[in-house]
Amino acid sequence: MIPALDFLREFRCATVILRLVLAVICGGVVGYGRSQKARAAGFRTYILISIGAAMAVLLTLYEYRMLNTLWADTVSRVGMKFDASRLASQVLTGIGFLGAGIIIKVAHQQVSGLTTATGLFATVCMGLACGAGFYELVLITLLLIVVVLNVMAPLEILFKRRLRNITLNVEFTELADVQAITEVIQAQAARIYDIDVERTERSGNKWPSAIFILQLSKENHSHSGMLSAVAELNCVRSVQELIA
Amino acid sequence: MLTILNGLRDLSFWAILVRMLVAVLCGTLIGLERSSKNRPAGFRTHILVCLGAAVASITGLYLYLGLELPADISRISGQVVTGLGFIGAGTIIITKKMTIKGLTTAAGLWTTGVIGLAIGSGYYELGVLGTALVLITETGLNRISGTIQPRPEFIVEVLYDERNALDQVLRYCKDNRMSIVNLQIQSMPPEHEADYAANIKLRGKLASQTLVSRIQLMRGIVSAMEI
Repeated sequence: MIPALDFLREFRCATVILRLVLAVICGGVVGYGRSQKARAAGFRTYILISIGAAMAVLLTLYEYRMLNTLWADTVSRVGMKFDASRLASQVLTGIGFLGAGIIIKVAHQQVSGLTTATGLFATVCMGLACGAGFYELVLITLLLIVVVLNVMAPLEILFKRRLRNITLNVEFTELADVQAITEVIQAQAARIYDIDVERTERSGNKWPSAIFILQLSKENHSHSGMLSAVAELNCVRSVQELIA
Repeated sequence: MLTILNGLRDLSFWAILVRMLVAVLCGTLIGLERSSKNRPAGFRTHILVCLGAAVASITGLYLYLGLELPADISRISGQVVTGLGFIGAGTIIITKKMTIKGLTTAAGLWTTGVIGLAIGSGYYELGVLGTALVLITETGLNRISGTIQPRPEFIVEVLYDERNALDQVLRYCKDNRMSIVNLQIQSMPPEHEADYAANIKLRGKLASQTLVSRIQLMRGIVSAMEI
């Protein structure tokens, strides 16, 4: 902790305003980056959550101050019964539930909203530090969250493109075609870990389909190459890579 | 903290009445803004949340200060925060297009709850300041939020006959630092103009129109268009 900032750690009107404004700014910075990606949680969501978290800690500080001043009589009679971290801890539980509402199962074996939910959670933690006046922690956390959410995303896509383990969703004409597809995949020197047949019969405009979980060979691990090879089979209606 | 307000920080009848009224007022202000946008949680919802949170926090104080029971004054308040997380999760809707709606409402409702707790504890300054910041965020920053142009993902459908053609397209995308989010290849029926259709989901610096017009010029490509 930097001693020069100690005067800002006192609990006064001016520092309360400073901390709340800091919470707005920090929430806004994280939210701005996320909004640019057209994600569910926008700019305002992050700010609101950040304000709420900072307020919860400030409220705790206020209660503690009151117990030592105006309510000191009761404390001397009943004893001090106060847990300064209680409100802050419930904030985390509350946001956990909110986050759970954002995570949706979009398709077979795929969920969406996980990064948004965890981003909100990290923002709330930063908001708690804002309210407590732990400015150094706030700045470091802000920097890290922004780096993780904005700089790491392309890296993650790049990383996933290079992975040898892939999941394919293949639609085909009839169940017997699974054999042919398996052969094509093995011809590319890939190992099949699991085949999960989803639909066995044609219904409406939906075809029989299966999920293939496989590992590409070291020499030839182009994802699009595998997709094209499978697509070239006459019995295959469509092939799609499932990305977690 | 303002010492003038110290007279209203105890549990006298008038202090409690003032707290309830301030809670209703703050809830109304936040709720009216939401109602004016025709969001699911209107001003009655926000008043009830703010009032309920205030009552819970006053009760917590009463157990300790009034009845002098050995209770932690923040326990009831803490559970309000958790409970509102549940209510917030319930306001989030997943649309048919698999997008999320109601998240700002959920976040606003949750923050309103914390404001109610502050007012109930007699920390009027924090409650009023919080309300002001929420209103600024909801109204003022809404405009900024509207001007943020997300760099969207888009899907390009490419019809082609030969595998090389697709490889060429994907290489072009990579060379131009477009990240391929997903790829789906579909075999077309025999009477169709092309053998395969690939849906490429992309994100990056290049505009979809520029990319599509470049792809159309490539060898072996029957057609390309944005979906």
